[in-house]
Amino acid sequence: MRKHILFYIVLAVCMIFSCIEVDAQAQNITVTGTVVEKATNKILPGVNIYMGSKGLIQTDYKGKFTVNVPANATLTFTFVGFVTEKVKLEPGQKNITVTMTEDKKGLNEVVIVAYQNRNKESTPGASVTITAKDIQDVPTSNVESLLQGKVAGLNVQNNTGAPGFRGSVQVRGLSTLSVSGSGSESFLQPTSPLYIIDGVPLDADKAAEFGFQTQGPGVSPLSLIPVEDIQSIQVMKDAQATSMYGSRGAYGVIIITTKRGNSKVPRVRYTGNFFVNATPQLRATLGGNSERQAKIQQILSNATIIDELRRLGQTGFLADSLNAYWNNSTNWQSIFYGTTHNQSHNVALDGGNDRFNYKANMGYYSEKGVIKNTGFDRYNLNMNMEFKPNDKFRFFGSLFGSLGSQAKGNGVGLLQQGVATNGQASTLLPPPSFYLSPDGVTSALQTQNSNSTRNIRTNVDGRYEFIPGLALSSSISYDYTSDAESTFTPAAANAQFAQMYDYEGRSFTLYNRNALTYAKTFGSDHTIFVNTFNEIYKQGGQSGIIRQSRIPNDQLQGPVGSDSYNSRGGGVLSNYKNATIASFAGSFNYDYKKKYVLELSYRLDGTSSNGLENPYSKNPAAGFRWNYYKENWFKDWDWLTSGGLRLTWGQNIVPTGSLQSIYGLYNLNGNFNNNPTIGINYEFVPNPSLKPTTTTQYNLGFDMTLLQGKVDLTFDTYYKKVDNLLFDRFLPNSTGFQKKSSNDVSIADYGYELMVTVRPITGKDFNWTVSFNGAINRDYLLRLPSEYNGQYIKFDYNNYQHIVFRVGKNTLSNYLLVNQGVYSNDADVPVDPVTGKKYQTSGLAFKGGDPRFKDVNGDYILDDRDYEITGNSQPLITGGVSTNINYKNFGLNVYATYTAKRTILNNALSDRLSIMKDPYALLAAVPLDDLDIWRKPGDQSKYPNPYSFSRFNQIRPLRSDQSLWQEEGSYLKINTVTLSYMFDKKFVRRFGFNNVRVYFSTNNLITFSGYNGPNPENVTSLGRDISSGYPVPRTYNLGLNIELNTSK
Amino acid sequence: MEDQNINAIKKRKEMQTFIKMGSMALLFVAAALSSCKKMYGIPDEKDYLSSNVNYSNKVFEPILGRTSLMGGFNGDNSTQPLKFEIINARFGDGRPVTDLFQKRPTYVWTAPYNGLEKSLAEIEAKRKLEEHSLFEVRSSGEFIMWASSTNELIKPRPADSTNFAQDTRYFDVKITNTGGSTVIRDLQVRPFRERPYEPSDDFNIYSGLPAPHPKTPYNPASRNYIRPFLNGVIGQATDIPLQSNDDKKDVVVYIRPFTGGSGNSLRFKFLNKDSVEMNPALLNETAWDKIVHGFNMQKTATYVQYDVAYPIPLVEVSTVYAPGGTRDHAEFKYSRIGFGGTRAVASFGIDFAIYKKGDWEIVFHFLKDNPKFEDE
Repeated sequence: MRKHILFYIVLAVCMIFSCIEVDAQAQNITVTGTVVEKATNKILPGVNIYMGSKGLIQTDYKGKFTVNVPANATLTFTFVGFVTEKVKLEPGQKNITVTMTEDKKGLNEVVIVAYQNRNKESTPGASVTITAKDIQDVPTSNVESLLQGKVAGLNVQNNTGAPGFRGSVQVRGLSTLSVSGSGSESFLQPTSPLYIIDGVPLDADKAAEFGFQTQGPGVSPLSLIPVEDIQSIQVMKDAQATSMYGSRGAYGVIIITTKRGNSKVPRVRYTGNFFVNATPQLRATLGGNSERQAKIQQILSNATIIDELRRLGQTGFLADSLNAYWNNSTNWQSIFYGTTHNQSHNVALDGGNDRFNYKANMGYYSEKGVIKNTGFDRYNLNMNMEFKPNDKFRFFGSLFGSLGSQAKGNGVGLLQQGVATNGQASTLLPPPSFYLSPDGVTSALQTQNSNSTRNIRTNVDGRYEFIPGLALSSSISYDYTSDAESTFTPAAANAQFAQMYDYEGRSFTLYNRNALTYAKTFGSDHTIFVNTFNEIYKQGGQSGIIRQSRIPNDQLQGPVGSDSYNSRGGGVLSNYKNATIASFAGSFNYDYKKKYVLELSYRLDGTSSNGLENPYSKNPAAGFRWNYYKENWFKDWDWLTSGGLRLTWGQNIVPTGSLQSIYGLYNLNGNFNNNPTIGINYEFVPNPSLKPTTTTQYNLGFDMTLLQGKVDLTFDTYYKKVDNLLFDRFLPNSTGFQKKSSNDVSIADYGYELMVTVRPITGKDFNWTVSFNGAINRDYLLRLPSEYNGQYIKFDYNNYQHIVFRVGKNTLSNYLLVNQGVYSNDADVPVDPVTGKKYQTSGLAFKGGDPRFKDVNGDYILDDRDYEITGNSQPLITGGVSTNINYKNFGLNVYATYTAKRTILNNALSDRLSIMKDPYALLAAVPLDDLDIWRKPGDQSKYPNPYSFSRFNQIRPLRSDQSLWQEEGSYLKINTVTLSYMFDKKFVRRFGFNNVRVYFSTNNLITFSGYNGPNPENVTSLGRDISSGYPVPRTYNLGLNIELNTSK
Repeated sequence: MEDQNINAIKKRKEMQTFIKMGSMALLFVAAALSSCKKMYGIPDEKDYLSSNVNYSNKVFEPILGRTSLMGGFNGDNSTQPLKFEIINARFGDGRPVTDLFQKRPTYVWTAPYNGLEKSLAEIEAKRKLEEHSLFEVRSSGEFIMWASSTNELIKPRPADSTNFAQDTRYFDVKITNTGGSTVIRDLQVRPFRERPYEPSDDFNIYSGLPAPHPKTPYNPASRNYIRPFLNGVIGQATDIPLQSNDDKKDVVVYIRPFTGGSGNSLRFKFLNKDSVEMNPALLNETAWDKIVHGFNMQKTATYVQYDVAYPIPLVEVSTVYAPGGTRDHAEFKYSRIGFGGTRAVASFGIDFAIYKKGDWEIVFHFLKDNPKFEDE
């Protein structure tokens, strides 16, 4: 794989190749030359030239260099991402041309393992690196969304279009069955990987404690990182790679490295994006009179009793068509949704070489959401500096400051309930105007919501090598975030009283890591590497809200808190945190001739939230790697460039309990003898022996690179077992307590991951790369507490879409009524042979046009005894395909992702059909021509008759707890198509530019799917399509990269 | 040159073989691993059988001679379908019970009865005779006492209304699915003797003997009768509305078999206080086709007779004949000029059910006074 080598590995490479004796006798000569790239014959500026280990010079912007060296010297040319070239000067040679080839040996990549840069060839863990090139050219508020489909086994679902929010991310399948909330808003606890940005861990789930009901700004910390500043992203999947990151690495580790300065002359680069977010396809509605006619028709043809016909005349908006108030055709959705124009700008300044370099990145990103009154703005200033005066000492410092500002309108960000409800209003109602505006509209459009997250993160990192091989490094970082939200709802939107809401929160992480490493090669064959470090986190955070439910008028927006009755909320929210984590870790790596590699590691995490009896969680891991291509058998196979076989095992242990579950919850229970008493809360019995969740993972991997990188292949298979998941057990009432937090749940995931890159054409003017990756992941529930006898149903009394856990089956299944079609005629309804009664529900027999529910227990009555386990809300197959074509100055990149075999509950469709359930309601009428619905006796259809309003509440043909809404959620999405053009360098240099590149890109271009709802990706992590969710817009972007010509 | 070519070809072949072999090996590994769900120790999916399955009611008291469906099973979300078996049926003193499980042909419905059928044949086409044990359990856990059960086949509960264990039939139910099986013990059946018709106020449900009058329950000489409903029926002699209740019995009803029918007949007769048949034509406002779902109405001077399908009503669904579903509503009307010259409509009738096939007659007997048909 064509990967950029991180800059400081240059040093290591130099050391390897630097053991060349310099002939002191030789006479110095001046040599000039040019360095060009082999494939494209382009000049390469900034190439480092060494003689031995002594750095000489870099090539200038024309790729030229001049050095004064001994006549028979050997020059070494190194450049990031290229194979190091060594040239021995021939006698009398004054002018040389050096051609460098891109380094396509995937195994020569540098990976970061346990905060140390390591050669990929000598690490057994499963990790994938993607570079800046793979994620450029698409403006997005959250870098995570660009990782979709890039790494096999990293399942990213961009399931919200809300700017600044995150989708869901899972590494290697399901790791939890903790579901909170109810109905469509059921929320699977996110198990996001641990993000490490420039060596500093970051909690990506920070804004997600409250599920969909986000408190505070809800800006994901990842939304604060400008994409333009990212150099590379490394995704670590198996436990051997992640166990050194301790409990926080249990769900995978993603390491983001920001750009470093690397240019002799200071470089100024600008990236600008101008993009349009287009409203996705909205629900079609009938407008004006056709809505009225449709409803009248529905009543006339479906009424069963005379009163229903009489009511038609009493319903003003249907009967009184001449009334101006009810004689409109308002497109309500267009009032809430709209296309927006957005921009982002980023200026990067960098300079220096591997001895000293610096970088500053300033960014501005502004995106207005397709739902009006929502959006996200980001401002950031990002700086780092690295000083490495010699190979013994290195110092790195960075400062990262950002401000994310978000507007959520009157929704909670991920959900826009108000907009969803008001978008369904009858088109016959008058549109909002100066004199008239319904509450809902005012609320959605006039609510002033301002919330911002301010984050500052600093990091200093030093490394000193006492003796060759033995180095001490230390890193300290401080991360401070301040969150504020302020919402003002005007009186007109809130039953004549204005309302204020304020949220104030802050959190910090102080982090220190000290590492001692020792690397030594014995003889020429045996190499060891020892890495030990300790980590200390000090984390804290507190937030609170205040809500003034009635304030005197719209002009007075503060101070709040005027009287005790209307002042609601307040206090500290439950996300209060004051935690300390101390960890010790060590690893030992041995390799023989770089052919056989063995790595053993162990880590201890002590946290304040573990049970008393398990204060430390232990994370052992072992890995073995065999670089088979180095074996003599393959010596003649020169088309086999590299290859390795990896086998690893490891454990990650995560404390699960809260202090409450370990020690119990104690309340003030009134007075006794005039003294306040404190007693235990009898809901949960304290469980001091609560065990931490243990993730054990085995990984078998196979790497192969053929024909100097023309074909790259990586295959991994794994088995992951998550034990001791937290689960409540109900206690016999004789214990006095209701429940016990226990650890008796286990789930397992296993799967296969394949990544293939083929470069069929690598010519001077023409390059073509095709990459494919895919992952299959199956999850199974292994164990439940014994008294559940293998099944537990999480009943949902909101929309009755129950979730069932059954041992031996996929972990999250739905528990629904099974729909087997629609009764074509009345005569198709089965009859109970015993009683002679028709199949019925709620005392009403089914008729033609009603759904054909499976009578599971055979009593000819549909009730809650007829639920069956069905479906799997977690995707089985995920992956991506991309192709990259470069022809001369043109570039074309097409990249698609796919998800297959998952069950979606299409609640959006159910809601859409249900709009027709009550023709007397002031709701829009939707055309259902596109759906296969039952219209007349004899119809064989998929969907039941939605128009039969008088029996609707008994039969509930569109009830949400039926498998009719279960649809296959497979999709193939063309994420981006990017067309770029690089202007001729000579041409742009005339105007003072070094480089000018323009590109046109689209994001979320098109989704191919058999799914009937709006978007199979825009669903919750439990596979429910909420119609109040935030739609994912399609983005068209025009972008510009400019590099100023800052040299003479 | 040649050599190089050959070499190159050889290399390529080598590579192709390697790739082929490699992909084969990968596929093999993948296949081996995916088939090895067992290898990973993943348990097989089993049906769920809750440990809380039970019946909310364990004593069943069906009435013989009619189909009774008795539920009360609580599966606690156990995976359906469950297999139910009645085992270990015995009397309380240990004698085995076999009479419940005699097989007899009984009617089962194959198509929905809706009250709109135009002939007996059309009705009969919607049901058929099947052999069934008199007492069964079906997949929903509901118990069925079929209509084919009679006093002769199954000995009813004691006539003295005692509930001794030796007279009570006990049984256990074994419930099975792939998740395992469980046995619910000691369910009881205490069948009531046949009640061929309803209302059955005229006989004792335990003994089948004539029932005493409710006001004098300990006077064996007193009798209770089936009572009709009466709306505005004025006595010819008394000029006051006729009543039929616990205190006054101006009119009573007999539901009784008669001879000379087709075996599927239902006859209505109206007796005056002299026990002489009144002409049904006097009931001039009666909708004769809505009295019962019968065919071939024969209206004579002494009775009205229909060919009917038994039981009546056939199915507990709302029809024009049985608006409430459970009882046939037979209402006989007549009109006359009342006081002030207005037309007064009077009606009487009975809501009844007959479970046993045969020739039945329903007799309205005006014991004390005849109804007044004359105008005022």
